[in-house]
Amino acid sequence: MIDARSVLLLWFPDQAGITGGRTREPAIFPLRLKGRKGLEVHILMIEDDASIADMYRLQLEHDGYKVTVATTGEIAFSTLSGSAPDLVLLDLLLPDRSGFEVLDALNERFPNHPPVVILSNYGEPSMIDRGRSLGAIEYLVKSRVTPADISEQIPMWVEQGRRGGRKES
Amino acid sequence: MILAAAVALDLTAAAFVALGVAIGYHWYRDRGRTQGMLALALVALAVVAALGRIPNPPVLLSAVIVVLFMASGFFVLLFRHEFIPLGRTAYRGAFVLLAVGIGLGVLDVTVFAHANPVVVTLLGLGLISIWAVFTGEPIVRFWLASNRLPAVQRARMRFLSFGFAILITILVVDVLGGSAVQSPTAVIITQLIALVAVPAIYLSLAPPPLLRRIWRMSEENALRAAMQDLLIFTTSREALAERATFWAVRLVGATAGFIADPNGKIIANTAIDRAHAARLISGRDRSASGSTTGIIMAPLHLTEGVGTLAIIGGPFTPVFGTEEISQLRAYANSVSAGLERARVAERMAAIESNKSQFLNLASHELRGPVTVIRGYLSMLEAGLLGELNDRGRMAAGVMAAKVSEMNELIEEMIESARLEEGGVTLRAVEADLREIARSAAYIVTPMLESKHQLVMDLPERRVRVKVDPDRTKTIVANLLSNAIKYSPDGGVITCQVRSRAGMAKVAVSDQGIGIRRESIATLFTRFGRIITPETEHLKGTGLGLFLGRQLARLQDGDITVASVEGEGSTFTLQLPLAGAGPEAASNGGAETSAEGAPEHTVSASSS
Repeated sequence: MIDARSVLLLWFPDQAGITGGRTREPAIFPLRLKGRKGLEVHILMIEDDASIADMYRLQLEHDGYKVTVATTGEIAFSTLSGSAPDLVLLDLLLPDRSGFEVLDALNERFPNHPPVVILSNYGEPSMIDRGRSLGAIEYLVKSRVTPADISEQIPMWVEQGRRGGRKES
Repeated sequence: MILAAAVALDLTAAAFVALGVAIGYHWYRDRGRTQGMLALALVALAVVAALGRIPNPPVLLSAVIVVLFMASGFFVLLFRHEFIPLGRTAYRGAFVLLAVGIGLGVLDVTVFAHANPVVVTLLGLGLISIWAVFTGEPIVRFWLASNRLPAVQRARMRFLSFGFAILITILVVDVLGGSAVQSPTAVIITQLIALVAVPAIYLSLAPPPLLRRIWRMSEENALRAAMQDLLIFTTSREALAERATFWAVRLVGATAGFIADPNGKIIANTAIDRAHAARLISGRDRSASGSTTGIIMAPLHLTEGVGTLAIIGGPFTPVFGTEEISQLRAYANSVSAGLERARVAERMAAIESNKSQFLNLASHELRGPVTVIRGYLSMLEAGLLGELNDRGRMAAGVMAAKVSEMNELIEEMIESARLEEGGVTLRAVEADLREIARSAAYIVTPMLESKHQLVMDLPERRVRVKVDPDRTKTIVANLLSNAIKYSPDGGVITCQVRSRAGMAKVAVSDQGIGIRRESIATLFTRFGRIITPETEHLKGTGLGLFLGRQLARLQDGDITVASVEGEGSTFTLQLPLAGAGPEAASNGGAETSAEGAPEHTVSASSS
C-alpha cells in the first residue's frame, strides 16, 4: 500500500502545502485559541462551490471554529461590515469577481481586515506571487491539502495576522 | 551624295513605317487603351513619314500630313494623360493648342506656301513648338517617374523618353537650321540619328524577354531572397501575404496590390484600402484572370479554393505586358505554396496550443472534484464522519491511494502544460546533491517492498550543484520510483551520486525487467510509457520521464538511459557542478527546504 501523502510528495513537494515531518496538532488546540473578541475563532470562507464549502465547514466546525460562508464577493463585504472574523479563506474563482479583486477591494475598504489565506485550484507561480503581493499570508492549492491540514494551520495564521501589525482599531 | 541623302530619308521613313506597323500589330494583339494612344501616335508618325517622301505633294496631302503630325504629338500627350490625368485646364488647353497647331500648319502649306521664308520658318517653328510641348512634357514626366519604378519599367520609360527626345531635337534642328542643315551630309547625319529613335521607341513598347531579363537582373537577387523568405521562414499567414503583395507590386512595377482568400476576404493589401480591394474582387469573375486596364489578377491555388493575387497599376505604371502576366502567375504559384505552408504551420501551432490549453483547463477543472473526494476521504479515515469497521477502513485507504494517483496525474498534466508554455520558473540555489538524493529516497521508502533493497552510494564530500532543489528531488524520486515499479521481482536498487569533470550525476540502477532497445526512443516523450505484458498492470502517466528530462534540461543537465532487456536499467541524471563559490551554504539540506518552499518560510518565521 502506497501512502497517499508520499505519492503526492513525489511530485511538487514544495507546493503540496503539507510538510512530511509535521505531526498532527491535536484538535483541542483551537479551543485554547480565542478569537479577537475573546470568543471562539470566527472564519469567513469566501467560496462559491457548495460541496467544497460544506466539506471545509464540517472539518472546521468539528475543530471548534465558527464558520461563515460567503458565496460571492459582495456577500463577503456585507459580512465583513457586520462582524469581524479572525481569518478569511478566499477562493479565487467567484461568480461576481475574481478573488484577487476581492482581496484588492478588501485592502481598500477594510484596511484592518483579518489575515487572508487563498485557497485555489490554480497553483501557477504568477498567481501565487500576485496573491502574496496583495497581502495574502498563505496561498494553498486545494487539491494538495486536506481539510485537516487547513484546520491545523489556522491558529498559526490567526496568530500571524495579529503579529502582522493589523491591530484592532 | 544627294542620292545618299535621299536613301537616308527613305530609310528613315521606312523605319518609321515599320515601327508604326509593328506597334499597330502589337496593339491589335493585346488591346489596351493606354497603349492604344501611343500606337495611334506612332502610326500617325509613320504615315507622316511615308507621305513626306512623296515628291511635290498636292496642297491637300500637305494639309493631311500637317494634321497627322499634330495628331501624333497630341496622342503622345493623351498617352501620358492615361497614366497621369492632366488637370482640367491643361486638358482644355491641349485641345486649344491642337486647334492652333493644325490651323498654323494648314496656313503654312496653303496660304503661306510661297510667302517669305522667314514667315514660313516662324510658322514651322510654331508648329514644331506645339508638337514639342505635346511630346516633351510626357518625356520629362516619364523620365522623372521612372526613377521610382522597378528596373524593367524604368528602362522602358527611359527608352521611350529617349526616342521622343531625339525626334524633337531633330525636328527643331531641321526647322531652325534652315539651309545649314539642308546639305546632304547634314541630312544623312540627322536621318541616321532619327533612325536611332526607332528601335528605342519600339523597345520601350515591346521589349523582348531577353532585354527585360537583362534589365531585371539587378533586382533578381532581392526578388530571389524574397521568394526564399516566402518558402522557408515561418511567419504568420498575414505577414507572409503582406510581404508577397509588396514584392508582387515591385515585380511588375505596379503601385498597389492585394491578396484575397477564396472567400473574397482581403488578407493583405499594399497602397489600396481593403474596401476598394473587396470591391475589385467582388466586381469581377475571379476565375478569369488576366490583364484589364491596369489590373492583373493571378489565381492563387489554395486548398480551400482559388484566391487572388491582384496588382493594380497607378499613374506611373506602364502598360502591363504578357511578360508581366506570366511572371506574376509564376510568382503567384510560389505565393500559393508559401500561404499553404503558413496555414499548415499555423494549424499545427494551434493544435499544439489547444492541446496544452486543454491539458491545463482539464487538469484545473479536475482539481475541484479531487479536492472534495480527497477531503471527505481524509475525514472518513480520521473518523470524523463516524467510526468505520475494518473493511470500511480498508476501502477508504484504497480510495485515498487512488485519489492520490489521480492527483499525481493532474499535477503532472499541469506541469507538462506549463513546460509546453514555457511557464516553468526554477528557483536555482546551491545545494548538495547527496542531500537531494537522500530526501528523494526518503520519499519513495513507502513504495519499497521487502524483496527490494535500496542502496545509497554517496561520496564522502559534498557534491555542490546549483539547481532547483525540489524539482531535482522530484526528478530523482521519480527515477527511484520507476526503478521500484519496474523491478516486480525485487532486487537491488542503487542510487549512486558522483561528480566528475564539472558534471554531477545521480545514477539509479535496478535489476528489473529492462527496456527493449527500440523502445528507448519513446521513453522520454510525453505520454510515452512503454506498455508490454510485464508493465501493463503498472500505474503511471507516461509523463514522469518526459517531465524529468525537460526539467533537467532546463537546468543545463539531462537524463540518459542504459538498459539491457531482462537484466535491468540505469537512468542517469546529469547536472553541472556549481562553480567555485563561497562556502556559504554549509548546510545544503536545510537551505534546500527553506528556499524551495516560500510558503513554509513564512510559517517558519512566525512560529
